[in-house]
Amino acid sequence: MLNEERIELMTRMAAYESRQGRKDMSINSFFRGDYISFQVLKSALYATVGFGLAVAMYILYDLEGFLTDFYKLDIEEFVKGLGMKYAIVLIVYLLISYFIYAFRFSRAKKHIKKYLSQLKELEEMYDWDY
Amino acid sequence: MATLLVVKEQLAGFYSRFEAYLNAVLKFLLTLVALLIINADLGYMSKIDNGAIVLIVSLLCSFLPVNLIVIILAIFVLLHIYALSLTCAAIVGILFVIMFVLYLRFAPSDAAAVILTPICYIIKIPYVVPLTLGFVGNPMSCVSVACGTAVYFMLNYIKNNADQIASFGNDAESALGSFKYIIDGLLGSDQMLLMVITFAVVVISVFMIKSLPVDYSWKIALGMGVVVNVLIILIGCSALEVDMSIGGVLVGTIVSALIVLVIQFFIFNVDYSRTENVQFEDDEYYYYVKAIPKISMEAPDVNVTRFNPRDEYDEYGEETGYDDYGNDGYN
Repeated sequence: MLNEERIELMTRMAAYESRQGRKDMSINSFFRGDYISFQVLKSALYATVGFGLAVAMYILYDLEGFLTDFYKLDIEEFVKGLGMKYAIVLIVYLLISYFIYAFRFSRAKKHIKKYLSQLKELEEMYDWDY
Repeated sequence: MATLLVVKEQLAGFYSRFEAYLNAVLKFLLTLVALLIINADLGYMSKIDNGAIVLIVSLLCSFLPVNLIVIILAIFVLLHIYALSLTCAAIVGILFVIMFVLYLRFAPSDAAAVILTPICYIIKIPYVVPLTLGFVGNPMSCVSVACGTAVYFMLNYIKNNADQIASFGNDAESALGSFKYIIDGLLGSDQMLLMVITFAVVVISVFMIKSLPVDYSWKIALGMGVVVNVLIILIGCSALEVDMSIGGVLVGTIVSALIVLVIQFFIFNVDYSRTENVQFEDDEYYYYVKAIPKISMEAPDVNVTRFNPRDEYDEYGEETGYDDYGNDGYN
């Protein structure tokens, strides 16, 4: 015998599983700290690539002048300045990443909690049947 | 108003029934328009400046995710610029990668905005994009609008200075000289800086105001978005000495606000819940369910107007027994 109420609930859950649920479940497979640190690490990689390209552009911008003055250049000072800028970019980028991914994690947790309560509801429906 | 509400409901029903096809058609149109604009503005590579190729790529893109469409369009742009100047293509390529790094990490779901911003610039209503994204996106959507704005100004610069850029040779010596000129031209535009800042502030302020728990927060957000947009551009124009037509900004912003109002009415307040095709099973059955969202037709407002109202109570405050139509209720 078909139970309409049960089908309705199962359809809602299946629809969630096939869309947002897939992302939420992959997030939920991590601990909060692991998920956020993994994502922040990924962001650090992106920031490094972006910064590297920006530095390449900066050097290319005045390559002639850079090459002419290269021997007069205080390498230590230059690297220190570059490192400072890299640190600032990285900190800003990572802070933004941290907030975004902490938010995404808590949102996924909330969805999964609702999904689990629906799952429990479904289980109870089966218990009534048997 | 009632007719509009009915049209809105019908539109929602139509969209939820044919969502898969409509999305494909919209992606096809978006790619087609973008490619036609790219070819018209930059068509330096004759091999890809071809109607058949544009059509085939657009058809292909109608089944691809929007993020991939952005990459394909970027490749088209790079190929055209490559035909013009290798140095310029290399610089634009590096800038594109930096933009992808920024935007893919923070706002990958707003890919359409990256394509729509330059298109809206061309039809002189770029303000639609930040105003709309403030409602449908999140504060990080300002990254996609900024990328779209930067792309528009870069392409505009290349279009206007094509002869000069093409005159640089591709050998190492002239490439070195041209780097500075091209980078200055691509990134040195004060107007680009002003628009990026303006749009970022508009997206964030609209998002914050519409999220406030007050009545009419969406209307207030739109109004404030318009004011912030015009004010920042006006202040920026005088501070950065940018030459922009103030009339154009005002008219463009007002037209954009009207378009956002229409978008709000037809899209934001409607539950475009999708038709779900799901499969699952339990111990007894396999279920293949197609769930179609219910359509609730809005009933037109009924106004009751009283003609020739007669007092239902006599001067002593007792009921007369007559209704508005003079009937005593017993006939």
